[in-house]
Amino acid sequence: MLSPWLEHLIFSIVAIVAVAGSILVVTRRNPIYSALFLIVVFGTVSAMFMLLDAPFLGFMQLLVYAGAIMVLYLFVIMLINPRDGNLPKEGGAIENSFAGGVSLLIFSLLAFAISHSGEVERLSNAGGIPALPEVPLSHGGIAGFGLELFHNHLLVFELTSVLILVGIIGAVHLAMRRKSTALTSEEAAEGAVTADV
Amino acid sequence: MFSLPAILYLSAFLFSIGTYGVLARRNILVVLMSLELMLNAVNIALVAFGRVHALSAASGEHGGQIFTLMVLAVAAAEAAIGLSLLLVIWRRWETIDLRELCQLNG
Repeated sequence: MLSPWLEHLIFSIVAIVAVAGSILVVTRRNPIYSALFLIVVFGTVSAMFMLLDAPFLGFMQLLVYAGAIMVLYLFVIMLINPRDGNLPKEGGAIENSFAGGVSLLIFSLLAFAISHSGEVERLSNAGGIPALPEVPLSHGGIAGFGLELFHNHLLVFELTSVLILVGIIGAVHLAMRRKSTALTSEEAAEGAVTADV
Repeated sequence: MFSLPAILYLSAFLFSIGTYGVLARRNILVVLMSLELMLNAVNIALVAFGRVHALSAASGEHGGQIFTLMVLAVAAAEAAIGLSLLLVIWRRWETIDLRELCQLNG
């Protein structure tokens, strides 16, 4: 058990790193930098899970996101290798301000909901998160988590495995190199013309 | 000791930054990454609510965490499918610019 002020300190540091990292993810022009900052954000989210007494989930987050998904992203970035010259031109001021306006609207709606929710107020008046509620030491560990997953949520687990299977088959099918998806040179020229228009 | 609203504000902030990335960027790769960011923001809120309701929730002590595990699996499938679609698009049109893929425009 960490002392409360140490927990608070860790939380503040992690939150600041997460905010800075996420802003860098969406503003970097080169996707490789975005991917690397996204790994930082995933690390902070994992630390957040551990602060919330979910150590198993924190490690799963590192394993699945930072381990598997980001490797997939980096692999695709290297495969298509967009050079500086043919990185897409980013949108103008109008597009950016539209997107900024929408995201600001969403944030203010969520912030309004959080600050005016009686339930959140009741829970936060009762004390900070580590004290409320006192959970048994086994909370979030593999044993308790696994028992509950396989006893009460077995159907969800099985459906997830079907989903992953469909994902694998779909990805392999889509990414397979076939004759029919390869362009003839005429089609390629035509495509280039339409892209220019 | 940290409070529930602080975590919820962080989650809301990450979610809206992800929204900005999805709307503003033209690079499909970065749009997919922003989607992952949004999923992660929701995961934080789920785990936090699961934690404060750990002993009173009908879905059991780890309900929120199991939900998050489900979201994790969905995110993995989404990344695999999205990236293979991106690969197909790259092979066919040699571009990852969303605004160039507008041939369905009326």
